[in-house]
Amino acid sequence: MTVNSLLYGYMVDELDYPDKKVIIEEGSIGDWVYVVLEGRVKVKKKTAKGFVTLFTLEEGGIFGEIPLFLKRDRVRTTTIQADGPVKVGILDTARLDREFELLSPQLKGLIKTLARRFSETVDNVGRLASA
Amino acid sequence: MDTKDKAHLKISLKYGKGDLIMKEGDYGVSIYKVNKGHVRVSQQQGEMDVALASLGPGEIFGEMAFLNKAVETRSASVRAMDDVELEVMHPKILSSEYEGMPPILRYITNQTLNRLARMNKMYTQLLKKTELTKARDLREPETNKRQYYRKPLHQACVYRPVRGSGKVRLEGQITDISVGGVGMDVSAGNTLKIPHEPGDEFAIHTTLPNGREVDLVGKIRGVAKTSTPGRLKLGMQFTGLNGESSKTLGFFMMS
Repeated sequence: MTVNSLLYGYMVDELDYPDKKVIIEEGSIGDWVYVVLEGRVKVKKKTAKGFVTLFTLEEGGIFGEIPLFLKRDRVRTTTIQADGPVKVGILDTARLDREFELLSPQLKGLIKTLARRFSETVDNVGRLASA
Repeated sequence: MDTKDKAHLKISLKYGKGDLIMKEGDYGVSIYKVNKGHVRVSQQQGEMDVALASLGPGEIFGEMAFLNKAVETRSASVRAMDDVELEVMHPKILSSEYEGMPPILRYITNQTLNRLARMNKMYTQLLKKTELTKARDLREPETNKRQYYRKPLHQACVYRPVRGSGKVRLEGQITDISVGGVGMDVSAGNTLKIPHEPGDEFAIHTTLPNGREVDLVGKIRGVAKTSTPGRLKLGMQFTGLNGESSKTLGFFMMS
């Protein structure tokens, strides 16, 4: 996966994070959508027995997109942590939001279902991982 | 009839509680929107039917086969949880809408979709692991009946807990032995040093009357008082005997 010109067209800012730095904290409020430009990040879930790494994102990987689709709350469901020094891009959330709202109700319904099922499944994984 | 005309054909379906709407492994491309009621999405994992999600009004299913072109068959089964009304959506229409949406949204959605598939997999694997442990715990009571011939014995032994404090060395007497477990007579004082609760696992070392040394591992099935004050009787079930010990014990039992 590489970061293509498509994403650069939506980018409003770039940020650098050192290794291990937390970029998004689970439970915090926010709706920025990010893309990994250089390096890697870990997506983690808090459990009763500490953090579980769910997956790793590399260049081109999007994170923080769930609130864009689900709207109803903007509480972050996972923690995103730099895995080595990383450069991330911040995408134009307002523009993404406008374009999402223009989709047909069917397509919006489909994407919302995916997003809801994703965060629900992540919660279930977190519960089981600490069992 | 082109796809535009089909868009005006709204097909709706009704199901009753428990009805199977979609079957994992079947071929199918239709996408369904829940208009009324709730459905349960599940996946078969060996013997188990693992619930992945429950979906309500406004939510969509059947999308995996459509979005993930590599998947041709249904990745999950869907059942009605109550009175359900569904709207069937023509995959071609949704497909052209999907292709026509701003590329960046398609790019993001594809990632969400792949991660959902991945999380479903992680979830079912974790669940399988938990269920296996549960199933093993449930089966145990059936296997704890020591139906084997028990040989009376009066042999000193030393034992220590398998987990935790490695330096502890407790002493006891083996009163009977079988290929399934041992009966032990120990001082009640031992329980002050180390808990002796059903389920606690101990490594036991003894010398059999034939002079052969043997290492046994077993867990407590029961603790009872004996007629002698200050002495306890432990019923132990073997949990892990190595090949050498099994052989030694088997040989001794036959003699």
